[in-house]
Amino acid sequence: MIKIKELSKLFGNKEVLKNLSMEFSKGNIYGIVGENGAGKTTLFRCIAGLESYSGEIISDVKPLKNHLGLLLTEPFFFSMITGREYIRLLCNARGKTNVDIDNKNIFDLPLDQYASTYSTGMKKKLAITAILLQENEYFILDEPFNGIDIQSNIILTEIILKLKELNKIVIISSHIFSTLSDTCDEIHLLRKGEQIKSVNKTGFKDLEQEMKEITIGNLIKNLDLK
Amino acid sequence: MKNYFNLLLVLTNRKIKKAGLYPGLGYLLGLAVFILLGEYLFQKTSFAKYLVILSCLSFQFQLSEKNRTDFLQSTFGDKTKNKIRILENLMVSIPFVSILLYKSLIIEAGILVLCSISFALVTFHAHFNLSIPTPFSKRPFEFSTGFRRTFYLFPVAYALAFIAINVDNFNLGVFSFLLVFLTTLGFYSKPEQEYYVWVHAETPRMFLKNKILHASKNATFLTAPILISMLIFYPSEVALISGFFLVGLLFLWTIILGKYSAYPGEMNLPEGMIVAFSLFFPPLLLTVIPFFYLKSVNKLKFLLNDKN
Repeated sequence: MIKIKELSKLFGNKEVLKNLSMEFSKGNIYGIVGENGAGKTTLFRCIAGLESYSGEIISDVKPLKNHLGLLLTEPFFFSMITGREYIRLLCNARGKTNVDIDNKNIFDLPLDQYASTYSTGMKKKLAITAILLQENEYFILDEPFNGIDIQSNIILTEIILKLKELNKIVIISSHIFSTLSDTCDEIHLLRKGEQIKSVNKTGFKDLEQEMKEITIGNLIKNLDLK
Repeated sequence: MKNYFNLLLVLTNRKIKKAGLYPGLGYLLGLAVFILLGEYLFQKTSFAKYLVILSCLSFQFQLSEKNRTDFLQSTFGDKTKNKIRILENLMVSIPFVSILLYKSLIIEAGILVLCSISFALVTFHAHFNLSIPTPFSKRPFEFSTGFRRTFYLFPVAYALAFIAINVDNFNLGVFSFLLVFLTTLGFYSKPEQEYYVWVHAETPRMFLKNKILHASKNATFLTAPILISMLIFYPSEVALISGFFLVGLLFLWTIILGKYSAYPGEMNLPEGMIVAFSLFFPPLLLTVIPFFYLKSVNKLKFLLNDKN
């Protein structure tokens, strides 16, 4: 379980997260949606303990960060580190030293090449593989589907569903609504740091429609396309 | 091109300001430290000229990094990129060439200028699908990536040690040994992105202990061929050789702790001055190391979620 109580975050005078309260239970997948700048990544960084905040974040397994697999939107790689070494680095950091990397290379990545030579999608797949091999209890995946090919998209969706089956907590953000509606049990909508609404599976269709209307509004009409 | 160099100046000034200094004062202090270090080197070893040349080339090597060169090429085109790169390398070489000229090493200064120009024109176009093998692959990242960046220096150091023993020049042997240690210090000069600290399920004390332990093990492995050869061929100098080895290790610990004492920022002037003073008076390390250690523990507490 992860419980967030009255979480707020200020950057200077700007309040980027406003009094958020959410609860994430084991064996469930949660989606966080919102426009750019809504506060999704900041929320993830607060949960991970990468940002200071006011309010409370409680977890049943402590400390939360030591059991959390965090996929950043744009994972950073050292210039001369191979894929295999990157996975080893992340596993060693969590005390997992004898990982059979080759057998678990499900995305068929060229592990002995420098990670910096990978394409955007391959980099994301490498980062996902590494956090999966860390054997975490919680997962935060910030835009996991961005840049990866359709086949890997299918594999990733199945992995997320498998994590649910294993009673893990998975929190995902995505700009592609369908990827969330396929996997999530509950979706939280953020706007300008505020929690606008939380919707379970039955309300996903209405939420998608509502988001479309808010986002598009009269914009296309104003274009006056001919 | 002029705008590019103006921008470089602005960026450099910004870095100096971030260190808490006025840019003018920063340049003056930098120059003073450089002159003092240079003088110290020339006083201490007859191989200072090689160290000066190698230091200059290693700075220039960083400037010819592939992504950087690609950016310059795509922005300015081939011709202007070459001009920029030559100018950059010549600007970097000015203090090094000056010190060589001041020491009347005209041929060496000339060689350094020629190397600087030709180094600027070398473009690393190759996309390596295979990585440079490293003995440190099991425990990434500092030594595995650092070794790949500087692998060419190790055969040079080992060759120098071989020559030193052949011509019975103890000082050259010590120099080759120090060259390996100095290279490893560079592996810890830049702070890694916070994710790579955060990801460790360790307390700050454990984190630092492991960093120091692995660095010491790896540095010992790299220096071992020189160390063992020197001990075999100069058994009477065992105390001196062990002393150099110990001081080398202590400096490695200092740099690691210095890095995390400034984390997530880069080591700046205060830390740099402390390290520089320790170079002149190594016993200072016995107080510098605990000082940096306590500061590092404090700096890492938040990211490693240590509530104690």
